[in-house]
Amino acid sequence: MLKKKINEPIELSAEPETEIDMNDASLFEFQRADDAASEHIAAPKYSYWGSVFRRFFSNKIAVLMLIISVTMVLFAFIQPSISHYDHMVAPNINNSKMHFLKPFTNGYIFGTDNRGNSLFDSLWSGTKNSLIVALSATFFSEFIGIVIGMFWGFSKKMDAIMIEIYNVLSNIPTTLIAMILVYAMGGGFKQLIFALCVTSWIGTAYFIRVQVMIIRDREYNLASQCLGTPLWKIIVNNILPYLVSVIITSVSRDVPMFISYEVALSYMGIGLSEKFASLGKLIQQYSPYMLTEPYLFWIPVVASAVISVSLYLVGQALADASDPRTHMI
Amino acid sequence: MEKDNREVLLDVKRLEVTFNNSRKNKGFRAVKNANFQIYKGETFGLVGESGSGKTTIGRSIMRLNPISDGEIWFEGKRIDGKISKEEKKNVVRNIQMIFQDPAASLNERATIDYCVSEGLYNFHLYENEEDRERKVDEALESVGLLPEHKSRYPHEFSGGQRQRVGIARAMIMEPKFIIADEPISALDVSIRAQVLNLMNKFKEERGLTYMFIAHDLSVVRYFADRIAVIHNGRIVEVAPTEVLFKYPLHPYTLSLLQAVPMPDPQIEKAKELVVYDESKRDLSGEKPILQEIRPGHQVFANDREMKEYEEKLSQMEKEAEKE
Repeated sequence: MLKKKINEPIELSAEPETEIDMNDASLFEFQRADDAASEHIAAPKYSYWGSVFRRFFSNKIAVLMLIISVTMVLFAFIQPSISHYDHMVAPNINNSKMHFLKPFTNGYIFGTDNRGNSLFDSLWSGTKNSLIVALSATFFSEFIGIVIGMFWGFSKKMDAIMIEIYNVLSNIPTTLIAMILVYAMGGGFKQLIFALCVTSWIGTAYFIRVQVMIIRDREYNLASQCLGTPLWKIIVNNILPYLVSVIITSVSRDVPMFISYEVALSYMGIGLSEKFASLGKLIQQYSPYMLTEPYLFWIPVVASAVISVSLYLVGQALADASDPRTHMI
Repeated sequence: MEKDNREVLLDVKRLEVTFNNSRKNKGFRAVKNANFQIYKGETFGLVGESGSGKTTIGRSIMRLNPISDGEIWFEGKRIDGKISKEEKKNVVRNIQMIFQDPAASLNERATIDYCVSEGLYNFHLYENEEDRERKVDEALESVGLLPEHKSRYPHEFSGGQRQRVGIARAMIMEPKFIIADEPISALDVSIRAQVLNLMNKFKEERGLTYMFIAHDLSVVRYFADRIAVIHNGRIVEVAPTEVLFKYPLHPYTLSLLQAVPMPDPQIEKAKELVVYDESKRDLSGEKPILQEIRPGHQVFANDREMKEYEEKLSQMEKEAEKE
């Protein structure tokens, strides 16, 4: 049956004058598979960071948020050095005509406050100080957390001790510890940053420990052990690159968290010392005028919200982009 | 056979590996009293079903799993337990491993260049950067990969290529002994032969000794010189490949050999499968141990079972002579 079916079209086409002899060996030639050619990879070269940035910049909201946060950060760090704003100096304090000017009057973009100081100047100076606190607290707590978390995930002996420390520390409210420490040590940048980091690193360390335990026993780590790779090299080359995305997620969570901690502590009057403006201090200082002069209260609140949200969204988008599973389309 | 004039490369004595999951019970004994020798230049096959402890034995030799009892000797030196840094280095340089799953055993975030030269970096086995690059190029070439692959990442390769990267990574250390843990199980059937031929090529060129862990008997028959059958953490039979296939003695070996599919549907259909069930066996008498029934052919039995096996074996030998 099958043979007949195959033969049929040949018989039909063989009708014309040229008849093809299918058994003629001269019509055929050998095709050899080229081993070397089949090894060749046709796909373009893959670059991890190249793909991360391509992915990130294809997200329009993320780019918008990046522009907003970069502008705010640059403004916060450049504007105070032009205005030379000093929170302790209030030249117009006795000139009541200069108090409570509405925004956009007499060249004061955000108006003036109860002491006759420009809100625009104090806002950026406050933003700068808040950012310094939040960014350094994030840096120290992430750095300590990652380094300790990496070894914690690997060592069973360390795990037994660290898990107890974690159970104790994580059950004490961070705000309470920060309050007590700031009271005890006095207000100031170093003290506040120390108070914020002193317990928060263990949360990061625990998070990293769990991530390390997930990928610790994968076969490629055994393979590295078979090749005699020391532990620190395994951590740097085999574990850390896999955690880029979760670390960025954790950082993008920490920065807004520390900004709001600073705001909360300053609002309670225990943040930075009186010498420095900060977002929390401004909000606290202007909260009595919430109903009479609402712009004084709302502008610092909105500024703190915008910078937190934009930094958070940028971090989340970057974390998504740095996950290689999103690179394949 | 000519056992005495062959040099023993690896000697495993009374090996026992226990996994402790809880402090209450004694833990799970994955390997029980394993004894075997691997001679220089041979390929030693280790076969058994999943969970029988094949991989655990391989990993204990690699010092990845701590052992709970017994000794492991390599080139006349003890390599288990606490050993000096110098000896550890020696073990790593001389014993290398090829893994089952090439996708899982390569670091996805490192280039092939780093994957292959990882061992070189660890022991600084190169004079300068140029020398290292030359070595990596040579290693890649010897497994049929191109130098242009160095800057690529593992996920860009096919399964067979990745496994060859794994082989290149082991070979660049110039080891004497290689533990191949099911190196072709995760590969496509069409490229299994390619990897096996590559391993054979290295064996001939460099006089390597292999320990070949597998569950596929047809592959082991082709590849191994001697086979140890392992069941439930116990080695039940050790014999040269052809002897084992001709005169299987232990009932587990028998059912394992029967499970190999025949490429003939008629035979395959008529085949009566014997499933090995230890609870139905007569286990009376003293505790069985691995004893030699013919030179080079060991079987796990006590004295009573030895007699039965002896009878069975001499009968089989007679039948073989007739043919």
